[in-house]
Amino acid sequence: MDNRRKYLTRWLVILAVLALIAAACGGDDDEATETTAGATETTDAAPADETFVLGVSNTLVGNAWREQMICAIKAEARARGNVTEVVLQNRNTDVAGQIADIQTLISQGVDAIIINPADRSALDDVIAEADAQGIPVISVDAPVTAPQAYFVSNNQVEYGEVGARWLFEALGGEGKVAYMRGLDGHPADTDRDTGWDAALADYPGIEVVYENWTGWDPSQGAQQALEILTSMDVDGIWTSGIDYSVVEQFEVAGVDYVPIVGADNNAFIEQLMTIEGLNGAGVSNPPSIGGVGAAVALNILEGQDVPKETLLTPVVLDTMDELEGVFVPDLTAGWSSYMVIEPFVSYASPQDVIDCKGPGE
Amino acid sequence: MTASIQETLVSDSQAPWRRWARRHGWTFGVWILLLVLIAYYATLIPRFGAFQVASIVNNGTPLVFLAVGQAIIVIAGGIDLGVGGMLVLSSVTAARLMEGQPLLVALLIAVGILLAAAAINAVVAWIINVSKVPDIVITLGSLYFFQGLALAILPNPAGGANEWFRWLFTGSKTGIGSNPWPAIVMITITVTAIGWWLGKTKRGLSLYAVGSDKTAAYLSGLNAARVKILSYAIGGAFAALAGLANTAIAGRGNANTVGGNLTLNSVAAIVLGGVALTGGIGSVIAVIPAGLILFFLSPILTAMGVDPNSAQVVQGVLIVLVMAVTGIIEWRRRLRS
Repeated sequence: MDNRRKYLTRWLVILAVLALIAAACGGDDDEATETTAGATETTDAAPADETFVLGVSNTLVGNAWREQMICAIKAEARARGNVTEVVLQNRNTDVAGQIADIQTLISQGVDAIIINPADRSALDDVIAEADAQGIPVISVDAPVTAPQAYFVSNNQVEYGEVGARWLFEALGGEGKVAYMRGLDGHPADTDRDTGWDAALADYPGIEVVYENWTGWDPSQGAQQALEILTSMDVDGIWTSGIDYSVVEQFEVAGVDYVPIVGADNNAFIEQLMTIEGLNGAGVSNPPSIGGVGAAVALNILEGQDVPKETLLTPVVLDTMDELEGVFVPDLTAGWSSYMVIEPFVSYASPQDVIDCKGPGE
Repeated sequence: MTASIQETLVSDSQAPWRRWARRHGWTFGVWILLLVLIAYYATLIPRFGAFQVASIVNNGTPLVFLAVGQAIIVIAGGIDLGVGGMLVLSSVTAARLMEGQPLLVALLIAVGILLAAAAINAVVAWIINVSKVPDIVITLGSLYFFQGLALAILPNPAGGANEWFRWLFTGSKTGIGSNPWPAIVMITITVTAIGWWLGKTKRGLSLYAVGSDKTAAYLSGLNAARVKILSYAIGGAFAALAGLANTAIAGRGNANTVGGNLTLNSVAAIVLGGVALTGGIGSVIAVIPAGLILFFLSPILTAMGVDPNSAQVVQGVLIVLVMAVTGIIEWRRRLRS
């Protein structure tokens, strides 16, 4: 009896605590602002001085492309001069985690949110919530279905298609190819696949003998490439941007180079320029698109008229002139060469992205 | 028998306040820590209201359920690395089956998934019993097995969930909103029920008995193998419940979710919640705030301007600290007696 009563008391205490939390925050947001008046003052003052806080949600960490994307966002925020802070929600997570992260950014009072979406449609509701709270959301790199979102990207369908066409042409329209995709379920991967299929339909002589996802992870890509090169006959390889570590595997496996398509990764560009007997093409997919996303976000906040969609057309780099034109010596491994995306960004030099410093850092 | 186990759990010496502190001090402390962190967070961000609370409670729910499941298994002397995989498996199964279904069907599917998860995890425990291979090895296998099965069920992120089913876990038909209550009620009901069962029923107490001393429990007539199966079944069901919450939040299933990370978070949460990894000691009530705190680390660090990736570092340090503190407390206790 005594124990039961104690148990009941414990529960009553816990319920009371929960009720207190809920009561403290109140059913109404306005009530809560009162208690944190000091903090509210600064946000109220912000629009008057025309300074902004940018939020960023990224769900793939330890990936050079995403790192450079974030550095470009920071560089643009710094170059514009009216951003006080870039708040990063940057961790490895899934859709549910990104929904939580975007809510966190909303909670922390950012003025605009730049996301690289982990899913095309599952973020729609949280984007609608941000929009309802007056926070524009800019989806960079891949589209979302939310009608409120702005979209800034390299044209991924075309990325898949032009690279595939280059490869099929290089093979004379006939042969076995390996199709090394990106991250399963990621909208950009799906779009590239659409482009790939469109090109493939025009080349009946091409046979896809291998299809797998690298997760855009260079080491996983290398492992798969080694498996392909040592266990099957391929005439060409298309990679979803995991390129230089794949090229390295030819030497490891001791086989002759076959035509290969990659992205504008600096290391891959260097390989194309320097390795004897390697025929390949880099299709531009600059991560500095993040800088364009930040520019679009700030244009919106400054009240400019901004189109809902900003698409960059990919460029195929395969001649020596083109390759030398974009190559940056001594760049971090895995970074892309093409950084100053005109006419969108305000920073003037690749060094601003390489420095990777946001406002106040 | 019940009384004797109670006595070993409670050891009734010294002043009543001391006894209370020993029994509930840790639980109380973790709840206070959660409140302090929330208060601190409120000062870091420009406005703190229902939206912020709902965001923490709703998104923290899966980890709370997962950690409660882990706690039950660990209290009974086991450890299940497969819970994260079970979460992913149940989440994608729910998303796959529930898409376009009315609420009633969705609820039936949910119940079916919970029962299936309990049955599957019971089989895992049975394998541990029969093979005599350590839990950690068998459940590492089940982690990969569940994750692989999830990929087979849903190769690409897809599926959906009934909007009222989403409301049940998130207080909103879209999964986003300012209503933390359904999640709070859901956690309170399930964890109270299991907490009551663990602490007040003969069978529940047998988990503590087997977890603290298998031989003694055996000698007093308990079937340790059966208790292990029971603990794994309940733990599996809670992991599946966490998966359902995940589907309700995301509105779809994603087999690419890394189950291993979720498992590690669940272990971190129970350690913070004062559950002894050696078995036999702990309260599921303390696991609620511990789970919320672990989820909460990332928003707090972001608000402090620290890279949320370092949340993992903080989490690691936290586990070591908690283990050290509990070790010292235990050591002093032994020294005194």
